[in-house]
Amino acid sequence: MRSSEAVPYPHLAWRLYSVWYRHMRVYTKNLVSNGLPPFLEPLLFLAGVGLGLGRYITESMDGMSYLTFLGTGLLVTTAMFTASFECTYATFIRLEFDKVYDGMLAAPITVNNLIVGEILWAGTKGLFFSFAVLCILTPFGIVHIPHALPAPLVGFLTGVMFASMSLLVTSFVKTINHFNFYMTGFLSPMFFFAGVVFPVSNLPRPVQFVAEIVPLTHSVRLVRAVCVSRYDLGLLADMVYILVFVAIVGALAVRRLRRRLVS
Amino acid sequence: MFLELGGDGGDPMAVISVSHISKTFEGVCAVCDLSFAVEAGSCFGLLGPNGAGKTTMMKTIYGAAARDKKCSGTIEVFGFDPARDELSIKYLSGVVPQENNLDEELNVVQNLLVYAKFYGLPARVARERIEALLSFLELSEKVKARIRELSGGMKRRLVIARALLNNPRLLILDEPTTGLDPQVRHLIWEKLRQLRAGGTTILLTTHYMEEAFQICDRVLIMDKGRRVMEDQPQRLMEQNIERYVLEVPQEQAAVIDSRELPEAVRVDHALGISRFYCDDLDRLKVVTDMLDGHPYYLRQANLEDVFLKATGRGLNEKQ
Repeated sequence: MRSSEAVPYPHLAWRLYSVWYRHMRVYTKNLVSNGLPPFLEPLLFLAGVGLGLGRYITESMDGMSYLTFLGTGLLVTTAMFTASFECTYATFIRLEFDKVYDGMLAAPITVNNLIVGEILWAGTKGLFFSFAVLCILTPFGIVHIPHALPAPLVGFLTGVMFASMSLLVTSFVKTINHFNFYMTGFLSPMFFFAGVVFPVSNLPRPVQFVAEIVPLTHSVRLVRAVCVSRYDLGLLADMVYILVFVAIVGALAVRRLRRRLVS
Repeated sequence: MFLELGGDGGDPMAVISVSHISKTFEGVCAVCDLSFAVEAGSCFGLLGPNGAGKTTMMKTIYGAAARDKKCSGTIEVFGFDPARDELSIKYLSGVVPQENNLDEELNVVQNLLVYAKFYGLPARVARERIEALLSFLELSEKVKARIRELSGGMKRRLVIARALLNNPRLLILDEPTTGLDPQVRHLIWEKLRQLRAGGTTILLTTHYMEEAFQICDRVLIMDKGRRVMEDQPQRLMEQNIERYVLEVPQEQAAVIDSRELPEAVRVDHALGISRFYCDDLDRLKVVTDMLDGHPYYLRQANLEDVFLKATGRGLNEKQ
């Protein structure tokens, strides 16, 4: 039996939105427990650094006070961590334990829609977490609006970038404990050696070279430039890096996860 | 919608046409050269033990599994090939997967509202339809209930409601009533019969013979990825098994001398039970007289007897 007319299934943008919407609804269901920590975390961090560590660090870093230096870095590391958790542990649970994807893929969406929607959602979480940090930094005069206002957009890009990479990692992982290697072996070192806590410019050459390869460095550079409105052409290279990274790693993640979702 | 005759072969009345499909997992054939057709408005059952390839076959129909690339077979669902047009097929179909994968964080109505988004249903339409579906599946009182407060039967009915959100013309169910109590099973069967009466085509997998007998117009018994037999349930029984069965514990059956058995009585010993099959009830009564008052169970043969005869009583490595 044949259908004479084309089937009116939703178009691509709607299909991505419906995946994003599902994640958003589930996340906002526990608004207090999910929505409050992003604000508390930077507060604690700044209290520790501002009241304690900060007074020992009087030298300016990259032409800014240490609180501003570190605070602006937090705008993107928070996006990195939330997107990475979302697309490793949480994705794995949806994939293997709750079988959420099996249910979603019975609806008119493709595996590609599912994964790209997931990446966009992780980017949104990055944006929100970045925004939360901005909300804390601004009243303390650590960054200034309006020029720091686009910072959460860098948080979005960072979220998208780490979501792509984390999904690629997830596509290889057989048991959930393997993510520990990714977290302590890759994300934590990046936190220290990508120019968040101290500038990379004074590190040995080989370390500097590695820092240029890892993704976080480029997010940090972008977000600092945005926060102090210090734009230069070098930032274009960072933008290109991020876009190319997302395109390549994201495509690989989609390809590999498809094999896992479609038997 | 119109009927197009003489397409690429196959039954023009069929909603699903599967022709010579194979699916291999790491060298093991999960589905081997299987062909069948599901007529519009009918209920078709795939029967088989665990590991027979039922779920794999079902998943290839809506694109959740890919058939072997090298197999030259074809699948058409509403005229669409799932390898190319999965979205069209999924838009016209509702799927009840084997596991209840509901969103535990959301309540009943939120689960359905989120899912309605995938079909692009406007909020007002979605709400009306959800209300009607919850009432149809007798879940109206559970609108705001959390998923973990629901019993297994309620969760199953909710997943069925979810599959019906877009008024599907084809409903695909993977073991719809496994693990549920008799009341819920009968309720679900009744709802499926109502849907079929309303014109919905149904494809289901099951290993409950009773389920197949109750609701399927046609069943395909498969084992190790292959078709064993296919027909209407009643005809399968008439043509493949005697009408009556006498079951006796094997140690008690030992008193019966097989040489003294009436004619046309077939015996089968397996897993501690001896079964005597015959079309003539009186001849089996003769056998019961030979039991010296030991307990026995004399009954009509059912589809399960056909099934066990067809697929064997031993377990395969996946059971």
